[in-house]
Amino acid sequence: MSVFYERFERHAHGEGVKGRSTHYCAGCGHGLAHKYLAEAIDDLGVQDRTIAISPVGCAVFLYYYFDVGNTQASHGRAPAVAIGHKMANPDSVIVSYQGDGDLAAIGLAEIIQAAQLGVPITVVFVNNAVYGMTGGQLAPTTPLGHATATSPAGRDLSMGAPLKMTEMIAAIDGCVYAERVALFDNKERITAKRAIRKALALQLENRGLSFVEVLSECPTHLKMSPRESQRWVRETMVRIFPLGVKKDVKSGRWPAPPPPNFDSARMVEVIGGFADHVESRDAKLPSELGDEVGLKFAGSGGDGAQTAAMLVTRAAIHEGFDATHIPSYGPESRGGTSYADVRIAVDEVLSPAVTAPNVLVAFNAPSLAKFGPHVLPGGTIIYDSSVITERPQQRDEVNCIGVPCAEIAAGLGKAVVKNIVALGALQAATRVLPEKVFIDVIRLALKSKPKLLPINEEAFRRGAEMVANARTSPS
Amino acid sequence: MAKKSLKAKPLLSPQYCKACGLCVEACAQGCLVMGEAIHPETGLRPVVLDIERCTACGLCISACPEPYALAPLPVEGETEIPAPPPKAALTTPDTRLPLAIEDPLVIRGTYASAIGALLAGCRNFFGYPITPSTEGAELMALLLPKLDGVFVQAVSELATINMMYGCGGAGRRAMTFTSSPGMSLMLEGLSYMIGAEIPGVVVDVMRGGPGLGNIAPEQSDIKLVCRSLGHGNTHGIVLAPSTPQEMLDLTFDAFELSFRYRIPAVVLCDGYLGQMTGRVVLPKTMVRPGVPGWAVTGDREHRRNLMCSIELSERDLEEHNRRLIEKYKRIEKSEQRADLFHCDDAEVILVACNTPARMAKGAVRELRQRGAKVGLFRPLTLWPFPIQALEPVVARARRIVVVEASDGQLEDELRLALSHAGMRLPARIESLRHYGGVLPQLHEIVDVVLPDALSAGASRGRA
Repeated sequence: MSVFYERFERHAHGEGVKGRSTHYCAGCGHGLAHKYLAEAIDDLGVQDRTIAISPVGCAVFLYYYFDVGNTQASHGRAPAVAIGHKMANPDSVIVSYQGDGDLAAIGLAEIIQAAQLGVPITVVFVNNAVYGMTGGQLAPTTPLGHATATSPAGRDLSMGAPLKMTEMIAAIDGCVYAERVALFDNKERITAKRAIRKALALQLENRGLSFVEVLSECPTHLKMSPRESQRWVRETMVRIFPLGVKKDVKSGRWPAPPPPNFDSARMVEVIGGFADHVESRDAKLPSELGDEVGLKFAGSGGDGAQTAAMLVTRAAIHEGFDATHIPSYGPESRGGTSYADVRIAVDEVLSPAVTAPNVLVAFNAPSLAKFGPHVLPGGTIIYDSSVITERPQQRDEVNCIGVPCAEIAAGLGKAVVKNIVALGALQAATRVLPEKVFIDVIRLALKSKPKLLPINEEAFRRGAEMVANARTSPS
Repeated sequence: MAKKSLKAKPLLSPQYCKACGLCVEACAQGCLVMGEAIHPETGLRPVVLDIERCTACGLCISACPEPYALAPLPVEGETEIPAPPPKAALTTPDTRLPLAIEDPLVIRGTYASAIGALLAGCRNFFGYPITPSTEGAELMALLLPKLDGVFVQAVSELATINMMYGCGGAGRRAMTFTSSPGMSLMLEGLSYMIGAEIPGVVVDVMRGGPGLGNIAPEQSDIKLVCRSLGHGNTHGIVLAPSTPQEMLDLTFDAFELSFRYRIPAVVLCDGYLGQMTGRVVLPKTMVRPGVPGWAVTGDREHRRNLMCSIELSERDLEEHNRRLIEKYKRIEKSEQRADLFHCDDAEVILVACNTPARMAKGAVRELRQRGAKVGLFRPLTLWPFPIQALEPVVARARRIVVVEASDGQLEDELRLALSHAGMRLPARIESLRHYGGVLPQLHEIVDVVLPDALSAGASRGRA
C-alpha cells in the first residue's frame, strides 16, 4: 500500500510499533475510512496530485499516514482550506476529511459554501455520533436518548434532533454526488470502499463537490466493544441516517481557473487605465490661495458631489499638484448626505480633511447651512440656486454665487450634469485650475462614453458663463 | 503503482494488531480467532491467523482498520519494489519584470493597495465584504479575471482566512481586505497561519469600535494586530501606511516580507486612508512569483511537505515556539521602518501613524513656522516597532506627544518598545486621542504642542 508511508515518521518520530500503526483506538471507523481512501488514491493513480486536508478531531493526524501533500486545518474549516488549495492548483486532487463535530457543528458554514460553490473537492465525512478526541461530548449527529459527556441524561429534544448532513448537502446544486455508507459488515464495507473511490474519481471529472458520509464506530466513547458498537451503528444510527446514494447527477461543470498571468504588457493594459497624464510644468495656485487650497462639495446622494470632487482632484494632479479627495456618506445606499473634501497642495497634502474650506459647492440648503459658516475669509461659495431658493445671508469676506445648476442641467436634457455646471462655475469664480485641464479630465472620465461629452462640455461652459454674467451684471 | 489483487492471502503482523476483532467477524472460513497471548510490545492480545483454510477472499484485509496489521501477503516474484521517496522540492525564485507606466495613478487608498498586491504577484483574493474596506475587494473582483487570477467571496472572514491558509500553504500570494470586526474573526486563522508558517497579506481598514461601532476611521486595532494576532506566541509583520502611495508601496512590501519570513503580514490603515484618493506613482517593476520549495502543491516534488501547527509533544512544541521566536527576533532586528520628519533637532516629538500622521506632519510644518522645534516620528512598521530609529530622537526630546485615533494603543506600543530597549522614559509622554471615527485635527495638535514648546524654546534661547 504505497499511499501510506512506509514508516509513520510523524507518529512519535516513527519509533517502535508507532512507526507502522495508527493512533486510533481498536475498532475505530477512521482506520477503515483511511484505508479505503488510500486504496482509492492508489487505484486512480493520483498520489502525486493529491492534497489531503486533515481536520481537527481524531483524524487530525491523518497526515501521519498519507504519503500525499498534507495540510492540517483548524476546527471546521477544512473545506475553506480545501478551496484555497484547489484555487491555487486546480489540477490537484483535494480530499477534505472531517468528523461530525467538525463538519456538522463548527464548520457548517464552510461545508455549505463549498457545496454551493460546486468546487470539485472530495469530502469524506466520518459520522460516529460523538466528539471523539475532545472526550465524548454531544455531537450534532448524536441520536436522541443517547447519553454523552454533555448530555449525561441522554439527548432530548431541547438539544435538537440529529442533523442529516448528506441529505442537506445533496440538496445543494453544487454537489454532484452524495452517499451515506457504513462499515459494520463485509457488504457495507465493500459499498463504502466503492463510494469513496467514486467520490474521488468524480473529482477528476471537474464537475462539483462529492460527499461521502461514513457511519462509523467509536467503541471508546460508546463504551462498547468493537463488535457491540458495530451492532449499535447498524441498529441505532442507520435508523436515523438511512444508507444509500442521496444524489448522483451527471450535470455540473466547474470553471477551473486558468494559470495566473504575469505578463507585464497585460498588467499595463489592466491598470494603465488608472494612469493620468501629468503636465510637467511647475504648477502654481492662484496667489491669493497660497500653497494649499481646500474645497468641499456637499449635497444629497446623487447630486454628483463625489464625481465633481474626483474631477477636481484629477485635474489638480494633472496640473502637477498633489491632491486628495475624501468622500463621506450617510448610511443610506441612495439619497442621504454626500460630502467630499478635496485638498490641493503645491508640494504635499498634509491635512486632507477640509473642515474650513476655501471653496464650498453646496447642492442643497442643509449643506449650505452646515458648511457655509466655515468657509474661510476670502473664500467662495457656489450654491445651486435652483434648489436653494432663499438667498443665503451674505458674508462680506466670502464671495457667494448662486448658480441654477439643476435648472441648466434640466435645460440641457440631462439632470445628472448639474455637478459639471457647478464645476464650470467653480473654475470661473476661483481660477483654482485652468479651464483646459478641467475639460481634459472630463474627456478622460468619459473615454468610454464619448456620446456624453458634448453635453458635459456644454454644461461646464454654461456654469462658467453664469459666473461671468454675475460679474458683469449689477446685482 | 502496481495493482494489488484483492485475491491475496493476508500477512498478519501481530505487533500492529489492536485486537479489535473485525477481521474475525469478516472471515467466513474462521481462519482468524481472537488471541489469548499478550504481545510483549503492545500489551494487547492480537488475533491469531490460520492461513491453511484461507481462500484469499481479502475480506479480512478490508475489515482491518490498521494499514500494516493485515496486509496482502507478498506473492513470490510479484514483490513490489517501493518507489524511492520523492526528492525535496527546490524553490524556484521570483522574477522581477519591468513595468512601463510613467504617469501617476489617481486612485483611492484601497485601490492603491489592491494594485500593489497585483504588482507583488498576488493573483488569489479571498474576502468577505465589510465597509470601509470593500472597494479594494471590488477592484480585485474587476481586475483579477483580466490577469487570470481568482476572486472568491467567502461565506465569512473565518472562511476567508482559511482559504488564504490553503492557498498560501500552496505557496501562492493570497490576500484579503477587511475591517475591524472582520479582523477579530480572522484571528484564529492567523494564529494557525503563524503556527504553520504560511504567508499571506491582510489589509485591515480600521473602523470605529467596539462592536459594530461605525464605519468611520479609528486606529483601535493596533493592539489586536501587534499584541494578539490570535492565540499562542504569535506575531505578524504590521505595516502602517499614511498615503495612497504608501498603501501601494507597503502592500507590495507586505508580500515580499511575508514570503521572506513565511509569516502573515497586516497592512493596517484607517477608513479615511482607504477612501482617500490621491496621486500614486507605480514602481518600475512587478513580480512574477516563483514556487517555494516548502509549498504543498499536490505534485510529486512537494509531496513530503506539510502545513500544520499541531505538535503533540511538549518538547517538540517548545522547540517549534523557539524557532518562531527566533524568527520574530530576526524580523525585529532587520525590518524596522520609520519615517522621520524634522526630528534632527526636535525638542518635541510627535508620534503618529496612518491618517493622523498626515495631520501631525501638517502640524509640524505650522509649528516650525511659529518657531517651535517639533518633529514627527512616524512608524511604518508597528510590529516590529522602529525603536532603533527612535532611540536617538528620544534621547534629544523633552516631550513626546502621541497623536492617535485610539485609547493609547499606539502609545502602548511605543512605551513597550522603549521599555524593552531599556530606555529611560523621556520626561513627558503626552497624548492627543480621539475615538469613534473622529480624527485628531491639525489645529488641535498645534494647540496641544504649542504653549510649552514655545516657552521652553524661548527660555532656552535666552539662557
